[in-house]
Amino acid sequence: MTSEPCDVLVVDDEPVVREAIRRVLAAEGLRVTTVPDAETALAHPALDRCRLVLCDLMLPGGSGLDVLAAVRLRRPGLPIVMISGYATTENAERVESAGATAFLPKPFDEEELRTLVRHALDTGVAAEEQKP
Amino acid sequence: MKPGIGTLAIVGVAAVTAAVIGVMSGVVIGAHHDALVAQLTRSADQLSETIAGSTHHDMLENRRDAVHREIVTIGHQQGIEKVRLFNSAGRIMFSSDEAEIGHALDKNAEACYACHAAGRPLARLPIRARSRIWRAADGHRVLGVIRPIHNEPGCWQADCHAHTADEVVLGVLDVDLSMVDADRQLAHDRRQLTLLAVLAIAASSLMLWALSRALILRPVAALIASTRRVAQGDLTTVIPATAWTELGDLARAFNEMTRRLGEAQRQLTQADKLASVGRLAAGVAHEINNPLTGVLTYASFLEKRAGDDTEMRADLEVIVRETKRCRDIVRGLLDFARQTPPRRQPVDLNEVVRRAAGIVMNQLTLAHVGLDFDLATDLPPVPAEANQIQQVIVNLLLNAADAVAGQAGANGGRIRVHTAAVAVPPRGHALIHTAACPRGCDLLDPAVRIAGSPGIRVLRKVGERENLLRMDPVYGRANHQVPVPVEEGVIAGYLCPACRARLETDHRCERCDAPMFGVTTRDAGQVEWCTRAGCDGSRWESQDVRGPETYAEIVVADTGRGITPEEMQRLFEPFFTTKGTHGTGLGLAVTWGIVEGHGGSIEVTSEPGQGTRFTIRLPYRVSEPATDTAPAASGQTMPDARGIATSGPLGTRPPRTASATTGGGGGA
Repeated sequence: MTSEPCDVLVVDDEPVVREAIRRVLAAEGLRVTTVPDAETALAHPALDRCRLVLCDLMLPGGSGLDVLAAVRLRRPGLPIVMISGYATTENAERVESAGATAFLPKPFDEEELRTLVRHALDTGVAAEEQKP
Repeated sequence: MKPGIGTLAIVGVAAVTAAVIGVMSGVVIGAHHDALVAQLTRSADQLSETIAGSTHHDMLENRRDAVHREIVTIGHQQGIEKVRLFNSAGRIMFSSDEAEIGHALDKNAEACYACHAAGRPLARLPIRARSRIWRAADGHRVLGVIRPIHNEPGCWQADCHAHTADEVVLGVLDVDLSMVDADRQLAHDRRQLTLLAVLAIAASSLMLWALSRALILRPVAALIASTRRVAQGDLTTVIPATAWTELGDLARAFNEMTRRLGEAQRQLTQADKLASVGRLAAGVAHEINNPLTGVLTYASFLEKRAGDDTEMRADLEVIVRETKRCRDIVRGLLDFARQTPPRRQPVDLNEVVRRAAGIVMNQLTLAHVGLDFDLATDLPPVPAEANQIQQVIVNLLLNAADAVAGQAGANGGRIRVHTAAVAVPPRGHALIHTAACPRGCDLLDPAVRIAGSPGIRVLRKVGERENLLRMDPVYGRANHQVPVPVEEGVIAGYLCPACRARLETDHRCERCDAPMFGVTTRDAGQVEWCTRAGCDGSRWESQDVRGPETYAEIVVADTGRGITPEEMQRLFEPFFTTKGTHGTGLGLAVTWGIVEGHGGSIEVTSEPGQGTRFTIRLPYRVSEPATDTAPAASGQTMPDARGIATSGPLGTRPPRTASATTGGGGGA
């Protein structure tokens, strides 16, 4: 398991959401790892290899913002897209000011998800390239 | 059961009546008795004078038999008890009662007492002193009058020499009259008076009973019953306030109280409902969005992979579309639940309008709706929260698109968006948000709205007639609600409907010099109107001094089906929609909340079939609390509008948080 390659790490407590995201992104040829909570996410080895994190804002045992902050410390250039069922302007602003790459309100359709992930991966590539 | 007011009043009045009539009867009977006795005494005296006169000669000529006959004849006449004659020694010389002739009477006996009480015989006594009343042996009363027979020269010069010259009184004639008839008359009168007294007491008690029943007991019973119903929570209770007495006023005051209680309760319930909706929406949004994400993602994923299977694609398209509709409803609920005060920053309204148009452009193009812009080029940035204002414009554009969708014509329907900075004078625009009488009674009446805003209650008094009016709450506009007009030129009195304080002020009308009356606003001084019927003179010094206020104005006008008056009444109510399953009924409620949060105003003018025009005004000046100065809906910006104008959700209002930090617009 630890050696499994990973492009996208998905953190969401809702199994149906995790599986839906996995299906859509897998169809795009991306390798997806899914975890149900913040603790598992931060301890998961996939975090060190993935190119993108998709993280729910409200998680059992910790806010998505905690995951965001921890990931930012460990991998500053890694694109992180926050997803939330609480699609308020306040949340969007909070997430963006906390350093997320994008905010994706639930529910989303296949196309919205795909477009945003593609865009975030491109941003991540650009960010990596800018590094010395 | 405890005695009621009626019983106590009747007992009290009966007692007083009995006492008054008793005293009166006593006085009357006493007077009557005295009159009868006086009359009887005079008759007795006249009789005794007649006897004395007629026996005079017989006495002088010493014809004792004749005297005796005469006295017996007279003494046996009807009503005469006894006639007798004493000599000066008290011996009975003649009497109609022959048995007592020759007997001597003690000078202290009743017939003698008047003269001899002082110890010596008196010669002359007034008639009152010569009469006395006593009871005979069988109990009936007798009135006696004595007449002293004085010595005359003829008496001692007569041949019989019975008397000497130095005697003063020779004897006494005593006439006793029976009082049986008089007493019978008196008893009869007493009976009649008593009967009358009883009748009077009964009649006055009966009248009091009927009056207290009609004027007190019935209204009080209604009041008690209504109070109980109100205590049980029935605030629809209305007492028929027909009494013209103070109880009628009480009933009216009671009705007013329950009406206000009901209004307050409705508002509380509504606020409570909205707060619950807010919490529910937040919870629902979170809980339902996860399963919706699953449905939407899978369905759209499948739709994409359906390939050539058009039937399957079409079915999946329905699932995707309907799931997105669910998403919109949940978002609407969240927007509605989240009524936060705006975080103001200088905003380019034109830019916000363009962004909003960008969001809805696809929908407009699909519906063949044309969008025209008429944006002011020199619009200064307005302090507002761009996101919220964008949402307002999106909502209005979507509503307009729905209103014009499917319209015939080469271009379909059209929507026009216009922005401008407008200087609005207080007259005709400034809205009175609070109104109080000099003693502080709240005069704003949310139940009666004039062009959407609560009217101001005042009581007009012309002569004895009083009418409740509602003054137009927009300064300088005169769409007052006057149920009973009076002749033009009449100067009326104006009172507070609650405490009846006079509302007249020291000012005179600028137009006609009549006195003015006014109400006090919370922050912006006194607003006054002319007391003369037909004169539209008004005065609001603080607003006139301040002059025109500048507002940023956004107009969204469409050529759609328009809004009916019935719809207009509920336009801003949450969950009110004319779009069936297509709408959530939250768009305009959210819009209202946002504009109010900005201290602005919304004006709607519409005519069914002719289109609708929403005018939003946002104030440039937000530094101070300006509760009473937000502009109102007015017909002035649209002079040809014969339609309806309204400036807020009617009756209900979304819950607000931290209202102290927002500007005007509240207080209505």
